[in-house]
Amino acid sequence: MNYLLHLLVYFDIYLILALSLNLVVGYCGMLTLAHAGYYAVGGYAYALLSLQAGWGFVPAALTGAGIAAVLSLAVSLPAWRLRGDFFVLASLAVQTLIFSALYNWSSANASLGSWRNLTNGPFGISGIPRASILGWQINSSAAFAIFATAVATGCAFTLWRLMISPWGRLLLAMRDDELAARGLGKNTRLAKVQAVAISCGFAAVAGTLYAAHVRFLDPSTASLDESILMLSMVIVGGLGNFRGPVVGAAVLLLLPEMLRFMHLPDAQAANLRLLIYGALLVLMMHFRPQGIAGSHRMK
Amino acid sequence: MQILLNGLISGSAIALLAVAFQAVYLPTRVFFLGLAGIYALAPFLAHAVLSRGGGWGAAVLVALLGGIGVSLLCEWANHAPLAQRKASEGTHLVASLGIYIVIVQVIAMLWGNDTRTLRTGLDATTRFGGVVITGAQWLTLAAAVVLLAAFAVLLMRSNLGLRLRALADNPTQFALFGYNVDRHRLLAFALAGFFASVSSLATAYDIGFDPHTGLQAVLLAVVAVIIGGRGSFMGPVAGAVLLGILRSQVVWHWSARWQAAATFALLALFLLIRPQGLLGHKSRLEATT
Repeated sequence: MNYLLHLLVYFDIYLILALSLNLVVGYCGMLTLAHAGYYAVGGYAYALLSLQAGWGFVPAALTGAGIAAVLSLAVSLPAWRLRGDFFVLASLAVQTLIFSALYNWSSANASLGSWRNLTNGPFGISGIPRASILGWQINSSAAFAIFATAVATGCAFTLWRLMISPWGRLLLAMRDDELAARGLGKNTRLAKVQAVAISCGFAAVAGTLYAAHVRFLDPSTASLDESILMLSMVIVGGLGNFRGPVVGAAVLLLLPEMLRFMHLPDAQAANLRLLIYGALLVLMMHFRPQGIAGSHRMK
Repeated sequence: MQILLNGLISGSAIALLAVAFQAVYLPTRVFFLGLAGIYALAPFLAHAVLSRGGGWGAAVLVALLGGIGVSLLCEWANHAPLAQRKASEGTHLVASLGIYIVIVQVIAMLWGNDTRTLRTGLDATTRFGGVVITGAQWLTLAAAVVLLAAFAVLLMRSNLGLRLRALADNPTQFALFGYNVDRHRLLAFALAGFFASVSSLATAYDIGFDPHTGLQAVLLAVVAVIIGGRGSFMGPVAGAVLLGILRSQVVWHWSARWQAAATFALLALFLLIRPQGLLGHKSRLEATT
């Protein structure tokens, strides 16, 4: 039972991540590899605020989302000038910078959370408090699973409303023909900044959930592998609509779980899981470039 | 002086890989991340031959042939069919990323995740005034200089090089003149596999290797390509040397932990201020598709 609850929380987290990433990759057509960085920023914001300042879940999550939204300018400003492969590289640069900052912002002499040792470097932060809302602490794993599902549903609903709004259609128009969208008097640069900021803010909320669930954080949360996993979810599931990322998050989360029941040695299972992700990416590009349930082929 | 020289030599290893990347990117516009898989594979092949009692010659030969073979396989089974369907840059990139993941995981499952070395014991060193150079560094420098010079001559002086440059310039017109585009694409991938394997073997001989070194190395090479200028085959060499020197200075003045950050900060600077690179001509970035 606990295993199923754990799986449900992970699904909630990756649902938010895949849907928010879809807003950038599927709706704006910008392939970004920096998403895990913002996910980790949210996690670290929650960890530090709750551990050091005793903040509750909601204010910490909102602060984390705000910080991520401001930092998202690092991805959206280069997008004004760069297209295609070179935007991918710029986003990779952002991911590496965030990872290095989390990895290196530490000093053995200073205490955790002080200005000189903000992230505790490669050792990570342990003992992160459980989530508490308005003074009420969530202790059982069932209650947390319900709470996470509620948060994920709220995020998914907000993102869905955004996608079908006029603003969502503006993003689609910009993706398909930026020049024409500009010709109609739309401010495409502003739309890009907004979309990336919203997307990164939601990624930070997912990071907050992760930190409150696992209660341990280290810089590997911001690693390139995490970004690749999120991107695989969106690409395998399908770009440019609501159901695609939902399917992708479910498939890529459940597929490796099946390996758990095949009694493989642990080390082999981890490799096999990544092998499946890689093979899925290649096969999708050949046989179904729009993803399982997507409506847009990648450019 | 020592620091400068170390940077120059590590830069020459990056340069080989950057030229490998560029050998595929310019003629085919494929962002070839599978190169990272080849980079990871080559030393493992050499190591497998050595541990079965084979000599150095056989090990290097197997590694090079393996690298070229995998590279050709990537083009034949993946990029050529995608290109035939007029797939976009992003599709090539994602498929290539998938191939990289598959190769690395297969290596990890076959040989494990541990870091290994190709040689045993300490390396011989030579002294020049105040500068110490190890045998592995000599090897890297010699391989890079010879191969890069040979490649430059091939490109600029031979008919084959002219055809490769023509393919990079305008594939459609190249096909209209009756040349076989597919064969030349295969050639470009073979060259890339060769250069990547050499760079990988030299680095592995110097500092050891594990299955996950590939992607970092290739990303470094791509940064070198952008800094040096995307439009030319040889511009990346200048970028790689600059990058190698910068990275060794970072280690000297701050710490090895900030190498990646310094590299990508330099990349961001170039992308914003001089997107055409050191040796490039001014052109619009979005004009490529």
